[in-house]
Amino acid sequence: MDMFTELEALCNINGISGDEGRVRDYILSQIEGRCEVTVDPLGSIIALCKGKKKSDKKLMISAHMDEVGFIVTYITSDGLIKFAPVGGIDPRIVFGKRVVIGDKQICGVVGGKALHHLEGEEKSRAVPFDKLYIDIGADSKEQAERYVSLGDSICFDNNYITLGKDRLKSKAIDDRAGCAVMLDMIRQGVEYDTFFTFVVQEEIGLRGSTAAAYTVAPDYAIVLEATTAADIPASSDDKRVCELDKGAVVSFMDRSTLYDKTLYSLAFETGRQENIPVQTKTMVAGGNDAGAIHRSRGGVMTAAISVPCRYLHSPSCVISKNDLVSVRALAGELSKRIFEL
Amino acid sequence: MDTFEIISRLSPAFGVSGEERQAADAALELLSPYGEGAFDKKTGNTVFWRFGRETDGSKKTVLLDAHIDEIGFIVTYITDDGFLKVAPVGGIDRRMLLASEVTVFGKECVRGVITSTPPHLEKDNKQLPEVSDIYIDIGYTAEKAKKVITLGDKVSVVNAPVKLLGDRISAKALDDRCGVAALIKTLELLKGESLDVNVALLLSSKEEIGEMGAKTGAFDIKPDIAIAVDVSFAYTQGEDREECGELEKGPMIGISPSLSRELSHSLIECAEKNGIPYQLEIMNGKTGTNADEMTVSRGGVKTVTVSIPQRYMHTPAEVIDTKDIDNTARLLACFIGGLK
Repeated sequence: MDMFTELEALCNINGISGDEGRVRDYILSQIEGRCEVTVDPLGSIIALCKGKKKSDKKLMISAHMDEVGFIVTYITSDGLIKFAPVGGIDPRIVFGKRVVIGDKQICGVVGGKALHHLEGEEKSRAVPFDKLYIDIGADSKEQAERYVSLGDSICFDNNYITLGKDRLKSKAIDDRAGCAVMLDMIRQGVEYDTFFTFVVQEEIGLRGSTAAAYTVAPDYAIVLEATTAADIPASSDDKRVCELDKGAVVSFMDRSTLYDKTLYSLAFETGRQENIPVQTKTMVAGGNDAGAIHRSRGGVMTAAISVPCRYLHSPSCVISKNDLVSVRALAGELSKRIFEL
Repeated sequence: MDTFEIISRLSPAFGVSGEERQAADAALELLSPYGEGAFDKKTGNTVFWRFGRETDGSKKTVLLDAHIDEIGFIVTYITDDGFLKVAPVGGIDRRMLLASEVTVFGKECVRGVITSTPPHLEKDNKQLPEVSDIYIDIGYTAEKAKKVITLGDKVSVVNAPVKLLGDRISAKALDDRCGVAALIKTLELLKGESLDVNVALLLSSKEEIGEMGAKTGAFDIKPDIAIAVDVSFAYTQGEDREECGELEKGPMIGISPSLSRELSHSLIECAEKNGIPYQLEIMNGKTGTNADEMTVSRGGVKTVTVSIPQRYMHTPAEVIDTKDIDNTARLLACFIGGLK
């Protein structure tokens, strides 16, 4: 399957942290027969993909299956759904959006009082999460409870589209993009035996990767991610972090990890030699599963390769197809060279 | 035709104030079995006469108005990076801006996303951006953007209509496409009836920027009676019950010093007689609808408002109950059927 067809399929699946089952089922169906697969107690997939060559070193390549969203916390007497965010969501992006709730995929909208009735600061301040609610069209608690239960997951309703010529807009690109790259690597086959981990619960604190890294006990790790690109006119040049169409992002440091210098240099050297565009992050910002994996057991040499992504953690994440191709190429090449270190 | 089906055709059509053609065409297609009308390039209005019109002065004329335009944005600048700067067209709710998906109505329709300062650079991420702070990302370079988009092109949010529980639906531009839908259903109910009055529909332009289409449209139609069919506030959590109607409780008949008390009472009587649910909307002066222009058209026109209750007005996720559209159409059809 084409990597972008796969990305669309993956982004359209709803799977917030702790509710990754549908994403997992899809991935398991795609790697069946290609890997030795186990699902760990937290729900992460650990897949050993056999290569042509053996090595006494272990490489773990990881991406997370979960996405940010919300969880149902209360149903009012009016039949409105109260909720809390799961993962880091900007409160300014939630009002007026359409969402899908629970296994029954109930459609709802995030509402509040009408613009015309706002007073003073209400007009200029984001509505806090505890004042927002979802309207599913129910009039009473009893009616709403027939369709929605406390603890149900809530996702942004998705509209996966192409922007311009080669840009994609969707929810959940963080980190279904990483999952799509790993599935492509598995399909194409690997040089050396490689552990692919599709982990859970990254967005609520790197929990799936903590357990999976312990189980795999790798010598090296590559985390495949989507990272904030702030290359928009509202950011000055020094605060853009990374830019679309400038290639795969390899960071020296973020809020969770000081990356291994050998692998950092190897990534750029590989990019130069193989004509793969590679950029670094110009700010110490963000964080990912590398934060948990690099300090697993006695320590793991870790690199993160990310696709630059605008408007991360929103229903309108935007990436360039070219960058995802670069991430795929660099991940493939680096996963060979690591064994030759 | 099923009301949701009508909304599914009307709501997605582009119709930001001053750019109503596409929405008007969608409405005209649905209206074609019931009479004749056309889009007027000069004003942006669409005037539609029901079959059976007499122009010899033997029949009085009832004007049914619903505005076809919707709120949106207008492109004011294209940055060196190919992002669009915009100004508001109508009352934009700052709470819904960020990460919303839009269509730019340029030489071709271009999709985009609304953005502003990223959260990691925002000292105060509770502060909502002004429309003047936002950028629209369309994924093009400035060079390509300028080929497709001209300054002055309009932009609307995107949100395909969707069914909620029961008969509730959510979509963009239900303000006032659900009014347009009610007028279409009114003519459907009156099809084949012999009436003592001429019925003109005014699908008015530019309501959202100051009821401009209603002014020229009412002048052209010269009605004896006018009814402005628009949306009004439905109660939801956070609202004041005294300021709102309720979903599913029927059309809201307006009573106001600026409206014809006679018409308000006739509508109430008509609803009572025919068992149509209704609510009252009491205003204390101007109504904030097209009725304000129509009442003072030419030498003055007896005018009343009929409003469809709506939640989350001026967001991409407006919510209405289709039963309220159906009951609005029943009320209008019964009322017009009884006019001499």
